[in-house]
Amino acid sequence: MSQVEKKAGLLRRTSSSKKPLKEKVVLMYDEIFAKEDPAKNNPRFWDELFLMKVNLEYLESKLESVDGEEVQRIQDNINSLFHHCVQALGEEHQIKVVNALQTLCALFRGVHQKNKSASGFDIINMLMGFDKAEQRMKDLMERLDSLLCGDSSESLKSLCLKLLLCLVTVTDNISQNTILEYVMINSIFEAILQILSDVSSRGQHGYDAVVLLALLVNYRKYESVNPYIVKLSIVDDEPTLDGMGMVVHQALTEYNRQYKDKEEENQGGFFSTLTSMVGSMFIADADEKLSVQTNEAILLALYEAVHLNRNFITVLAQSHPEIDIAVTPTTPTPTTPTTPLGTTPPSLDMMNNPELPLDPNLQTSNLLITFLKYASIVMQDTKDEHRLNSARLCLIILTCIAEDQYADAFLHDDNMNFRVNLHRMPMRHRKKAVDKNIPSRPLVCAVLDLMVEFIVTHMMKDFPMDLYLRCVQIIHKLLCYQKKCRIRLHYTWRELWSALINLLKFLLSNETTLLAKHNIFHLALLVVNLFNMFITYGDTFLPTSNSYDELYYEIVRMHQVFDNLYCMVLRVSTNTGQWKEAASKVTHALVNVRAIINHFNPKIESYAAVNHISQLSEEQVLEVVRSNYDTLTLKLQDGLDQFERYSEQPKEAAFFKELVRSISLNVRKNVSLNTLSQDVLLKEFSTIS
Amino acid sequence: MMEEAEPDISPIPSDQNSPSPSLSSSPSLSLPSTPSSSCGPAQAATPPLCVISEGASELSLVIDAEVAQRACQEVLQKVKLRQVEGDVTHLQNGAGLEAEPAAAKASKIREEDDHDAPAPGSVKNARRRQRHNPSKQSWLLRLFESKLFDVSMAISYLHNSKEPGVQAYIGNRLFSFPHEDVDFYLPQLLNMYIHMDEDVGDAIKPYVVHRCRQSISFSLQCAWLLGAYSSDMHISTQRHSRGTKLRKLILSDELKPVGPRARRDPLTLTPFCPTAAHGGGSGPLGGDHGLSPSKRTHQRSKSDATVSISLSSNLKRTASNPKVESSQDEPVRLAPQREFIKSLMGIGKRLATLPTKEQKTQRLISELSLLNHKLPARVWLPTAAFDHHVVRVPHTQAVVLNSKDKAPYLIYVEVLECENFETSSVPIRIPENRIRSTRSVENLPDCGMTAEQRAGSFSVVPNYDNDDEAWSVDDIGELQVELPEIHTNSCDNISQFSVDSITSLESKEPVFIAAGDIRRRLSEQLAQAPTTFKRDPEDPSAVALKEPWEEKVRRIREGSPYGHLPTWRLLSVIVKCGDDLRQELLAFQVLQQLKSIWEQERVPLWIKPYKILVLSADSGMIEPVVNAVSLHQVKKQSQLSLLDYFLQEHGAPTTEAFLSAQRNFVQSCAGYSLICYLLQVKDRHNGNILLDADGHIIHIDFGFILSSSPKNLGFETSAFKLTSEFVDVMGGPDGDMFNYYKMLMLQGLIAARKHMDRVLQIVEIMQQGSQLPCFHGSSTMRGLKERFHMSLTEEQVQLLIDQLVDGSMRSLTTKLYDGFQYLTNGIM
Repeated sequence: MSQVEKKAGLLRRTSSSKKPLKEKVVLMYDEIFAKEDPAKNNPRFWDELFLMKVNLEYLESKLESVDGEEVQRIQDNINSLFHHCVQALGEEHQIKVVNALQTLCALFRGVHQKNKSASGFDIINMLMGFDKAEQRMKDLMERLDSLLCGDSSESLKSLCLKLLLCLVTVTDNISQNTILEYVMINSIFEAILQILSDVSSRGQHGYDAVVLLALLVNYRKYESVNPYIVKLSIVDDEPTLDGMGMVVHQALTEYNRQYKDKEEENQGGFFSTLTSMVGSMFIADADEKLSVQTNEAILLALYEAVHLNRNFITVLAQSHPEIDIAVTPTTPTPTTPTTPLGTTPPSLDMMNNPELPLDPNLQTSNLLITFLKYASIVMQDTKDEHRLNSARLCLIILTCIAEDQYADAFLHDDNMNFRVNLHRMPMRHRKKAVDKNIPSRPLVCAVLDLMVEFIVTHMMKDFPMDLYLRCVQIIHKLLCYQKKCRIRLHYTWRELWSALINLLKFLLSNETTLLAKHNIFHLALLVVNLFNMFITYGDTFLPTSNSYDELYYEIVRMHQVFDNLYCMVLRVSTNTGQWKEAASKVTHALVNVRAIINHFNPKIESYAAVNHISQLSEEQVLEVVRSNYDTLTLKLQDGLDQFERYSEQPKEAAFFKELVRSISLNVRKNVSLNTLSQDVLLKEFSTIS
Repeated sequence: MMEEAEPDISPIPSDQNSPSPSLSSSPSLSLPSTPSSSCGPAQAATPPLCVISEGASELSLVIDAEVAQRACQEVLQKVKLRQVEGDVTHLQNGAGLEAEPAAAKASKIREEDDHDAPAPGSVKNARRRQRHNPSKQSWLLRLFESKLFDVSMAISYLHNSKEPGVQAYIGNRLFSFPHEDVDFYLPQLLNMYIHMDEDVGDAIKPYVVHRCRQSISFSLQCAWLLGAYSSDMHISTQRHSRGTKLRKLILSDELKPVGPRARRDPLTLTPFCPTAAHGGGSGPLGGDHGLSPSKRTHQRSKSDATVSISLSSNLKRTASNPKVESSQDEPVRLAPQREFIKSLMGIGKRLATLPTKEQKTQRLISELSLLNHKLPARVWLPTAAFDHHVVRVPHTQAVVLNSKDKAPYLIYVEVLECENFETSSVPIRIPENRIRSTRSVENLPDCGMTAEQRAGSFSVVPNYDNDDEAWSVDDIGELQVELPEIHTNSCDNISQFSVDSITSLESKEPVFIAAGDIRRRLSEQLAQAPTTFKRDPEDPSAVALKEPWEEKVRRIREGSPYGHLPTWRLLSVIVKCGDDLRQELLAFQVLQQLKSIWEQERVPLWIKPYKILVLSADSGMIEPVVNAVSLHQVKKQSQLSLLDYFLQEHGAPTTEAFLSAQRNFVQSCAGYSLICYLLQVKDRHNGNILLDADGHIIHIDFGFILSSSPKNLGFETSAFKLTSEFVDVMGGPDGDMFNYYKMLMLQGLIAARKHMDRVLQIVEIMQQGSQLPCFHGSSTMRGLKERFHMSLTEEQVQLLIDQLVDGSMRSLTTKLYDGFQYLTNGIM
């Protein structure tokens, strides 16, 4: 429980204690916490209780203040409260339902708050009683399910989702939340799907539903059978999957927009002139301002969908016009809770609208494009733990995408050309590229651009080795697909080559510092093997014959880097040490690159000597390359076009555990029922009742 | 009988509506009798006949007035006998004359068969004979009842005869013709219905109504044409015109099939009918299809469950989308197709507002992907030759075509052939993602858990799904079988050219490859690849059109979730929005007519009429010519002369491929040269001339024909387009092929001359009530008729052809026009 809320509760208590009269509901709570059965004297006690406005703070603090001994005494009453809450959910009287939902929420929270160290079974016992727990939870889940799927009011549905989110995030580690065992047995998966498939409910509750699903999927993911995983993996209903994609798309779009707004804010006006005057002093400051908090929950949902459900891949390419939330009028929905971004998910829904809005400035977009833009923002700055996690998750998602044949097919589809404006980090040595002139290309070009961009911008002391590995592997997977399907992508491969060579150079020059933390040989091996892919299989996927010449040119031009790398790995591999084997692999991988350098360098030198030219032009070198291919023999290396497929377990399990924990904390912080103004609810229901 | 007495007369047009001076002396034109004398005493009291004879003085009849009179009496008698209708009762007194055959045959009329239509030459003779033998009675009737009487003649008589009896008879006679034959003349029929007098309308209406009841597609076709051809009327008259009323009647869907049929329909029309008898409806239900794409997915194994699930989701779809018929409601017969067409037109309209080609293309793709959500449905492409249901629009394949301000676009449409699109059940939707299974078999084990865990989880999970046992078992089995493949799954099995790493793995011997070989393979494969055009964002259609049709079909089929079905077909269509296609339709009809004339006369001229669907006065659809790109695109992309392009595409001048391409080129040039001359097709720049993969040229865009020409700049005065490049491909002006070209034109013109009426009739009827620019001025028909040069001898015709060819070859204006187009529209 957050400090702030506690304080609020305390304040309220003191202020209320000043009054001679306590609220009636508070008196009733007190009765519950007494030993007696409150219904003994007043048979209508429970009926009346749920007509009272809930005082969450009081109830929660009361639960917290109960100590071990007392628990035993009042357990029957708490069980009974829980029981009546569940029953009240079935009431026709909406106010009772609302109050019951909120009371339940307070119960879950209060009990957990009190018993942080207690085992899950104790908590269940305290809330429902062991013998009845199964039945109670079954009833609860069934009631929630029917509320979510029925025609009940939107704010009620929203409250149900809040309760579920509250329940799911009540422990830091979701897998220790034993109550969820009952949520596994009594699945609300179908209700979540229904919310996502329906346009209007998706608009209002989609965000919560998606986050809830992402969290539920992660409950004891690696230890037991989670039916949500199984079910999610076989969903094939298009409207539902589209709905899920739409929710993610909107959340990411919103993030991108907020970032852009901040960026523009920072660029214009006095501040920017000041920064440019004072110099780089304020750059760090500006970066700070630009970091909109990333949305890990949504990203996790996207990951689970992409990773678990193969049908979801088609949703990535489902195109719709870019939704600019700033332009579209968002109807104020007071009951919609704040998302972690503090915004309401727009209720506007494109799928609903067969006639797309007519705006010539609207660029057609799809989830993948939005995701790539998002990733380009997130990956800019990986210093912050959250952003590092987000960047890692982005790369993991891209890895899954790059491994999927269908995704690869549309990434490389020549008919699906898009302009993707990736965000590029402002750096001192380069100007910000003029975004407007990006040509419209197959989407894979944007993915490659993003990878190149990452490679060139993260060569720093605090080296994100893990991200680099993923990045290079994504490129490798894409190349394998191109080789396999003989797709000749018109891409400026040169940029990739020079980025990779620079990366090798960086590894070499920071060898000692990096080796202390990382196995740089593994990364070097992957990079060299990318070159081997081009050298050995270039005929199957390079777009022009010239590009093959250019590859050789680039290698020969930068031969110093490869020479140094070879010296280094040779040195390490001849010594005995932990890197011996890793380094020797790199020496073997370098065989063809070295052959090329050793073959062409003398040829170029003699050409220069014969023609008395000190500095050969690129064209001249290419000429030498072209005329000397035939005397060069290369060795075919094994397994260049094979890769290890992504698997979450065991490698990534720890990462996801931590990620889910962080998301849980974040969601818990934001799901405050207090924000759901009771006045609004009461107003709404007073007209009904 | 008179059949043998053949008065040999050179062909004379029977149509005398706009008498030209040279024809006025024709013996067939008997002197019109004055109303008083022609109307016998018996008929004096009968207004309909009087009207006719009055008309005879201004518009002379095809048939001799007296003959006609008698024949009509006969016919009317018959009509009276058959259908006791009030409007003919007043003719009782004139009926005595020739009643005996009529009575006998009256009952047979409907059964009259109409196969083996003999050569129309003899028909004409018959007609002529009859004209010259006024003494002989019932000639017209005999003609009408003869096997020679075909739709063309029926239409002609319907148009020219002013005799209500004749018209009514022909109206009835229409029922006996094959539907396809009448359908060809549907524009003519409906235009007459709209713009001619009441009697013609009354004669036509029963037939139209009858056909509308029978067929949805005929109903819509009629409604569209009626709308389009009514549009030239003044707005005030239009609203109350017959055409508009009939159109409303059709669209109100009151012309449903009557009787037990209607009762049966709701059942057969239910889209989700699980007992799909025909291949068309096999959908995912046919899990037992040998090639089911979902073979290895969860989905297939739980297919029984999916049926119920997809059923409910389909119903959901219905609720939000009235286009899809729900099984309970009385199916709205015409609605799905109308909605489909409407959305296609809507897309076109919205595209037109976007500034760049690229934006248009992207928008088109995204709009179509939305359209896909509503398919399959009981919708079809009217330009197709077979019955089918549209199941999917492969949206990424669609392209925006080159046009300055409009946004015509080309879409490919996947359909499933079926026996009858009205009664066969609509195929069940297969989700887009279903295709994934065929593509990514190897992706199976990446679902979060290791396969063992997965297997475990499947068996442990308590039933949360009715038939989970069925599918979990299935899946585990397949998973386990597949496990060993995991390690090799990313290796290459497509590439035969590159040595695979696998081979070296097995041999363990180091394998060496020559860098030179890699480089050589690269350039060879790049050269070897069929010449494709480079993608140009400003001309997105070039690449799409260049791709060979077969290859495109194969590629799209591979990527389609419906591709495995045996009835799968690919169609394409150009959607035009904001363009009047009525002239195109007219041109199509003329081309089609000439084509069949040439076929009949066995002259090997080649033309390709492409189908046109007129939806309104400013929208429609065109059947694209497959495997063809415009000369403009050829020149721009290849940067070669036409001859060099032929050499590049087909091989050296002596190869068989080249020679056959050259022959095709010549035959099509001859065909289109004649067409261009006869129809005065203008605006002949290279963007409007296509070249197909076999070397044929195909002219498209008949926006300027007959009396209209673009901007009236006075360019393009030559008879047809014959550039020196064309002549080069034919082997130069002295070559054999060039002579062959001229010879073909001669034969073509002579054949066309022989059947001139069949061509003229099409144009003439459409002129009625039309404001189309091609009918501008008064001399359209006369000019057209003159270009057939009926009065010339064959030698003279040959001379004429030589002149035309010479003139066109030397014509500067052709060149000038190309230059003009290049300057204004960037067309090379």
